[in-house]
Amino acid sequence: MLDVGRHPNIKLLAYSELERLEGDAGNFTATIRRKARYVDEDKCTGCGACAQVCPTPVLDLYNEGHAERKAIYSWFAQGIPSTHAIDPDHCRVLNGKKCGICQKKCEAGAIDFDQTDVIIDLPVAAVVVATGYDVFDPSRMPEYRYNQLDNVITAMEFERFLSASGPTAGHIYRPSDRKVTATIAELEKKVKKSQKALDRFEKTHGKKSDEFYAAYTDGSLKPGEDLEKDQDKWAKRVEAHLENANPLAVLKEKAKGFTTAKKIAFIQCVGSRDLRFYPFCSGYCCMHSIKEAIIAHEHDNDTHTVIFGMDIRAVGKGFEEYKIRGGNNSNISYKRSRVAEITRNPDECPVLIYEDTREQKIQRQAFDLVVLATACGPVKGAQKIADTLGIDLDRFGFFKTDPSNPLDTSRDGIYVCGCAHSPMDIPESVAQASSAAARAAQTVIKKNDQKAS
Amino acid sequence: MTKDILVLGGGIAGIQSSLDLAEMGFKVHLVESLPSIGGKMAQLDKTFPTNDCAI
Amino acid sequence: MNTHTLTPYEAPRIGVFVCDCGSNIAGHLDCPDVAEYAKTLPHVVYVKENLYTCSEAGIGEIKKAITEQNLTRVVVASCSPRTHQPLFSSSCAEVGLNPYLFEMVNIRDQCSWVHMGTRDAATQKAKELICMGVAKSAGLEALNEIESSLIRKILVIGGGIAGLSAAQALGDMGLDVILVEKTASLGGLLQQVHQLDSGVMAKEALSQIIDDVRSQSNITCYTSATVTETGGYIGNYDVKIETQTGLVEEQVGCMVVATGAVPLIPEGILGYDGRQVISLMQLEQLLQRDKLDAKRVVFIQCAGARTPEREYCSRICCMIGVKNAMLIKDKYPLTDVRVLYRDMQMYGTHKEQMLWDARGKGIRFDVYTPDNPPEVENGKVTFFQAVTGKTQELDADLVVLSTPLVPRNDSGKLANMLRVPTDQNGFFLEAHAKLRPLDFAADGIFVCGSGRYPATSTEARTQGIGVASRVAAILFKEKLVKSAIVAQINPDACVGCMACLPMCPYEAITYNRDKRICEVNEVLCKGCGNCAATCPSHSAMLRGFKPQQLLAQIGAA
Repeated sequence: MLDVGRHPNIKLLAYSELERLEGDAGNFTATIRRKARYVDEDKCTGCGACAQVCPTPVLDLYNEGHAERKAIYSWFAQGIPSTHAIDPDHCRVLNGKKCGICQKKCEAGAIDFDQTDVIIDLPVAAVVVATGYDVFDPSRMPEYRYNQLDNVITAMEFERFLSASGPTAGHIYRPSDRKVTATIAELEKKVKKSQKALDRFEKTHGKKSDEFYAAYTDGSLKPGEDLEKDQDKWAKRVEAHLENANPLAVLKEKAKGFTTAKKIAFIQCVGSRDLRFYPFCSGYCCMHSIKEAIIAHEHDNDTHTVIFGMDIRAVGKGFEEYKIRGGNNSNISYKRSRVAEITRNPDECPVLIYEDTREQKIQRQAFDLVVLATACGPVKGAQKIADTLGIDLDRFGFFKTDPSNPLDTSRDGIYVCGCAHSPMDIPESVAQASSAAARAAQTVIKKNDQKAS
Repeated sequence: MTKDILVLGGGIAGIQSSLDLAEMGFKVHLVESLPSIGGKMAQLDKTFPTNDCAI
Repeated sequence: MNTHTLTPYEAPRIGVFVCDCGSNIAGHLDCPDVAEYAKTLPHVVYVKENLYTCSEAGIGEIKKAITEQNLTRVVVASCSPRTHQPLFSSSCAEVGLNPYLFEMVNIRDQCSWVHMGTRDAATQKAKELICMGVAKSAGLEALNEIESSLIRKILVIGGGIAGLSAAQALGDMGLDVILVEKTASLGGLLQQVHQLDSGVMAKEALSQIIDDVRSQSNITCYTSATVTETGGYIGNYDVKIETQTGLVEEQVGCMVVATGAVPLIPEGILGYDGRQVISLMQLEQLLQRDKLDAKRVVFIQCAGARTPEREYCSRICCMIGVKNAMLIKDKYPLTDVRVLYRDMQMYGTHKEQMLWDARGKGIRFDVYTPDNPPEVENGKVTFFQAVTGKTQELDADLVVLSTPLVPRNDSGKLANMLRVPTDQNGFFLEAHAKLRPLDFAADGIFVCGSGRYPATSTEARTQGIGVASRVAAILFKEKLVKSAIVAQINPDACVGCMACLPMCPYEAITYNRDKRICEVNEVLCKGCGNCAATCPSHSAMLRGFKPQQLLAQIGAA
């Protein structure tokens, strides 16, 4: 990644989109829209001081919505370029409100609220399409209740939980527990504030709030005491305090029982190999689940995992061996089954309902956490990209190629690689990327030779 | 006549294509719609089968 | 100590630049104080604190100071050398200061970031780190990058679909190619295949590519030929090829291994007899010659694969099995075709679609488990159906064993000759399983096709074309230029003990029998320093990290 950032032959146009492509192989003109970052790329050093002071929290999609970033942000800490960007949907200034704190803070003077999109035309001889994929949205499968059950998450969300730089610093806390913890933190803040108000009363009157309130409610307060002008106010404050303090105590008691997730289920083929959604296989998800299970076990040796799938497709160099190693050393068991439904126990544990074909019985099994291995599908807007480029999609919605020329799209001079071609894992993507580069290079060399001769 | 090449997408595939082409001596324009490159792989903690760090 | 590498003493003039990194550094330690301290260090003649040393303004300050202050060493105390060293050292070079006279000190990642909240301690540590960096910089020497010539010709070993695709792609890029095939004809394993999964006949697909390769004037094909000897290094390999017409000696810049793999012949497995119980490859030939005569066909997947002796999955046999099952069903619709499998490895879009289609054609798929494998005897296949838990008996007048691809028995020999590694299964081992699937760890040698790991024809072709990119990235350059940070062995001090030889992961050190000393090939050396750490006579040293430089650094601590 770094190498791209500093290679003299690579001009990095991040936060940009292709608008139009005209001409022919050897002689295209690409029109690119460079979206306004509202941050000067030449001046920004990526120090991040702006994001520290920005008052507007925004859901962080890099962390799959399990953390917050600010309205001025870098996509992720090690991102290249490190130039920050302002999210125009959330920034106060860009939405007509008063703020501009980041501009004051930025010592490089890089913040520019007046920046606009810039359209540039580039003459190019060939195009490599590496637009990748989008993950299937599991809320489209009603039986898995992804939207209703907190502890049913996607493999990419789990990936962020596993990451030391992720929202839980690598510890597998259940999302339902995290919600409670977040509520506790919120209530604690409120309670601390209301306690301060009570402290003032207590100091003035030399009496504990609870003693006072007990007396107040049973009517034993004598009017002669020096409380008259304060007592109603104080009582109100106490009531307001208890409104938060009582549920806080309950939640804190509940949170005492929280541990990290130790029984984890993976469900394979969520959205793939399914005629309702994607008929095809995403190729990498079996291995992805095994990897996540192994890493989870590395974090906590008490973790037990069950991977539910039709086939376990460990198809790649060293993959079968990896799968076996996972089973032997990492408490992973593989269950051949397609899970029919997920429900929930009162303790928020998701319950899987599936058929054990060998026993010919319907089984119900509860887990702390369920991870959905969601399918790799064509990138959102693939049709639009195909239209812009003037190339065809295949029956599955990926960019179409011919098996004997596996990199060539339907238009001369345009090549495709990686998951834009079809679902594949990293080494295949890398090998194919080199191949697409070779095809692009050949086009440039041939077209230039033709021109010269 | 131009010898420049346009690469769409800054994930692992786009990055590898760009690096190969750049090393061959072609000028590459790498277009990424997000604020930084890295793609899905940058979201991964570690990768199979070697459990290497993704970044 | 040898005398002839010593340069006349000349007092260095060191400039130190302390970066605030906005608040990343300055927020957690006292940068002005650190800068003041730096002024007191020996040979330091100029100190500047920058808000961002890496910004255009900061770089400008460095360049200006080098020119105006006559600096002969530059030290930047900022962030990680991994990200910023190239920027700073090349900026020094732009105004005429040798880039190897630049030194970087990281006072952010391991200082300000980890000592947040202990400002005084962080400040003190930054001072000490800078003191060490300055001490090392005083002893730095100007070095020149190592250049070496490149022969723009490639040796491709293996004339199957991967090697052909590599040769074709390299030829199309205007490079000279020598393609060496061991057998009498080009085409490899695909020559024995009937029809590809795309519906194209394998022979037709092959002949198109072979014709194109044969017609390219810059590709020389040797069939019935073997590579017998290789020597040299990236850019300059000497190879000897035994051909039908005698020994050919060639010089090439890069080498590509595309030797493929062979299907396992299932001797002793599941009742294999070559007539009623045959291998998948034998079935291809029956289909090719239209000699199939069977009413009940049973395919058994993973025959000899995914077992304790052969753990790996051969990736392509499920697809080939399903492809042939469908071909049989299409041609002889009344034939009963069943497939016994463990996991159907029909990854991706097209293959999974084949599986749907195969089921639609009436082909039956049943799961068996490895702890209870099928038995084949007297035209009957008995198996434990894992899904229902019942034992079943099937009549079969033809049993097809889907066997894995296994490495060639001579691939170990080739690996030794090229000095490249193989994995535990005997396949060639690439430099990195994820990020460098087509490279060997040794520069200038590449791998593609089933010699690396079983691949479909489409995958092998993709990899072959991909290798062309990797090769061109080297050979399209005018010359090979690499970092001057390499090992050197002092010939006067070396006693020829050869302790360094096994330590070198890049095979960059050789023993010179005549002089009885070890010698470093600078082109191969990657500057890891293993040899320098091992050498008992201290004659091996790593440039830029010589003992006197490091000792000065440590001594300052």
